Amino acid sequence: MGETDDIRVDAEWNAGDMGCGELVLELRARMKTLRPGQVLRLTARDPGAIEDLPAWCRLSGHRLARAAHPTYLIERKED
Amino acid sequence: MAGKFCVSLTHAKDDADKATVAFVVANAAVGSEQETMVFLSTEGVRLGVKGYADDVHEQGFAPLKDLMANFAAAGGTIYVCSPCFKRRGLDENNLVAGAKIVGGAKLVEFLAGGAPCVSY
Repeated sequence: MGETDDIRVDAEWNAGDMGCGELVLELRARMKTLRPGQVLRLTARDPGAIEDLPAWCRLSGHRLARAAHPTYLIERKED
Repeated sequence: MAGKFCVSLTHAKDDADKATVAFVVANAAVGSEQETMVFLSTEGVRLGVKGYADDVHEQGFAPLKDLMANFAAAGGTIYVCSPCFKRRGLDENNLVAGAKIVGGAKLVEFLAGGAPCVSY
């Protein structure tokens, strides 16, 4: 799919202004479609995403490889 | 800090009594060495905007703006519900001290470890 600096990106999703529960529920579904170790490049413009996405990664176990709002690189966890 | 403590507040000037008491309790928590977070949602998000609470002063209590300022100065955190804030067209660049715009995941993370929460 592409690379962001040294990180290979396997999938992309532009979530636009989506936020809160709607964002993380859809994000959960999209992460499930990836294989462990694959990376999603997410664009999330909701201002709550700055705090929410790191929290969601800590809760879910996926790795937040990079965060530069509104762009986030999230690596799928092992099964 | 000994533990975590959450105060959930869903009112602003529509119930200044509850808004005030919520911050009185939050100050009691942060003053008791608890890692304290006030979660503002629905109408409560209006309190996250600088200047909004300046004219709220319930009889028998300190002015709300002072309660909020003291809370932030003591290390308390205010989480402001992102979709609630957005739907009211409020200014995310004009938040009170200690406030952060968050979504549900941040609240869930705070509470998931078993933190108590009192609601107003």
